[in-house]
Amino acid sequence: MPRTAARGLFAAAAWGWALLASPVQAAPADTGAVLEMETSDVLTITPPKPTWFFVDGGWDMPGTSIFDGETGKMKGMVETRRLADFAIDPAGKFYYVAETIWSKGDRGTRQDMVSVYDSQTLNLITEVPLPGRILIGSRKNNFIVSDDGKTAYVYDFSPISGVNIVDLVKRKFVTAVELPGCASLMPNPGIGFSALCSDGSLATVAIKGTKADISHSAPFFSATDDPIFDNFTYDRRKKETTFLTYTGQIYQAKLGATPTISTPFSIQAAAGIRPGETKPLELNWYPGGRQPMALHRPSGHLFVLMHMGEYWSHKASGTEVWEVDLATQKVVKRRALKEPMNNIEVSQTDKPLLFMNGEEGSAIVIDVATGEEKHKIEKAGGSTITVVDPS
Amino acid sequence: MKKFDADAMGERLLRKLAGGTSRRSMLSRLGAALVAAPAFPLLPVSRAEAAKPDRSPEGKTGFARNAQTKDDTKCDYWRYCAIDGALCTCCGGGIHSCPPGAEPSPVSWVGTCINPDDGKAYLIAYRDCCGKPACGQCGCDNTDRETQLYMPQLNNDVIWCFGTTSMEYHCSTAVLVGSAS
Repeated sequence: MPRTAARGLFAAAAWGWALLASPVQAAPADTGAVLEMETSDVLTITPPKPTWFFVDGGWDMPGTSIFDGETGKMKGMVETRRLADFAIDPAGKFYYVAETIWSKGDRGTRQDMVSVYDSQTLNLITEVPLPGRILIGSRKNNFIVSDDGKTAYVYDFSPISGVNIVDLVKRKFVTAVELPGCASLMPNPGIGFSALCSDGSLATVAIKGTKADISHSAPFFSATDDPIFDNFTYDRRKKETTFLTYTGQIYQAKLGATPTISTPFSIQAAAGIRPGETKPLELNWYPGGRQPMALHRPSGHLFVLMHMGEYWSHKASGTEVWEVDLATQKVVKRRALKEPMNNIEVSQTDKPLLFMNGEEGSAIVIDVATGEEKHKIEKAGGSTITVVDPS
Repeated sequence: MKKFDADAMGERLLRKLAGGTSRRSMLSRLGAALVAAPAFPLLPVSRAEAAKPDRSPEGKTGFARNAQTKDDTKCDYWRYCAIDGALCTCCGGGIHSCPPGAEPSPVSWVGTCINPDDGKAYLIAYRDCCGKPACGQCGCDNTDRETQLYMPQLNNDVIWCFGTTSMEYHCSTAVLVGSAS
């Protein structure tokens, strides 16, 4: 068959397919009921619910998938390309993504921005250009939103350490402040923000206009010998952070103009076993993972991914989840996991649901009350998990 | 028993640096993040100290006990005690060489690794090779003395492609910078 004739045949076939899909197609003659014709449309979703969880696809998947923890069903996706950071507007109206793209894919002009998405349509509303941001990924505390939802703080490392401040109401970049020797941000309402520092102190950064006044607490941990995991938790109602170190020491810090840092306690001692140590050749239970802990704020229970190993195994996935009552400093429950998990979050609901994922990207939903695995979702994403924090 | 001391290490680097930079220059504000290499001389080496077998805690980690010196395309090769990423040795490059078309980052994070053949501790600069897509071969993630982001020079998750024409991460090398003693 001549090539031109073949092309014509294919074109006719394609046209035929188009006709099949069009309203002129006749209904089958031998049935009573006729299936309704359909048109393509686009769904919307409700603003985020407390039982939803948001899973960053990480290095391998350029999106953050939204799942309903009750049903295990996916609700939608927000585009979060590799090394982007995701945050939720406290009022639930927007999703924010701090991200970096280049004008020609992986080359050309670098563009850093906070992208603003409508939480119901998941459509992009606008982009707020930034002078820069760190490229690292898998961190909750490099892109944080103030409790009132008006300000975003974006950590930058160029490799000068600093923070870019964004007005989320005007959707404008405000200023860049230097933050020498510190990173891992937490909101500090009415003050600005706070951060952890390499000298083992907690920095309080008071923002006045475009100026930053940085003060430091006395050093309280060793950044080299027993570091605090930089994926710590923040409780906006108590204005308090909970920190966990590689050996398993748990600190709490009340934020304000001058922070108050609690005396730490050992998670292992809280479970009735010997505390974790930095010494080599000591086999013990240690905390580990990328996002190794989650705080259920209403109950003050901390859920920690734990594994058996030696010191410096802090990225290892957890084989158990330990539930710590922070008030009594006791481990009230140890749950064995069917598969090792690397990230953990918990819904801030009266009946909490645990959300976890492993390095292969499968996510599970566990009912804390019954211990039942409610859902397992393959290919959910392998990186950070976020939940709504209603206050 | 001498423990690994990042502060002392950083101080040595910064003292070297201080003579040649103004206080307000960008370099002086980088702090210890500048473990960079081509710009800096090798660290001072105490030959007497280096001659002794290492009995320090660094030599007793799970990684150090099982490390080997023969095959630099395996995650347990001794220099990889704190590497995270694709090994350039598996991507067309070498232990201190970027694959064709990639560009080495002038700055890096560092590890202190024990060579099992001589029992000594060495400072290793993990310089990323940049400007090409992620290689994907021989992914490793070792964490001896690896810290968190507020101590970035010892953190192995940061994309260290600074000062390169593209910040796209391709693979990681493990350059021997000097003795860590």
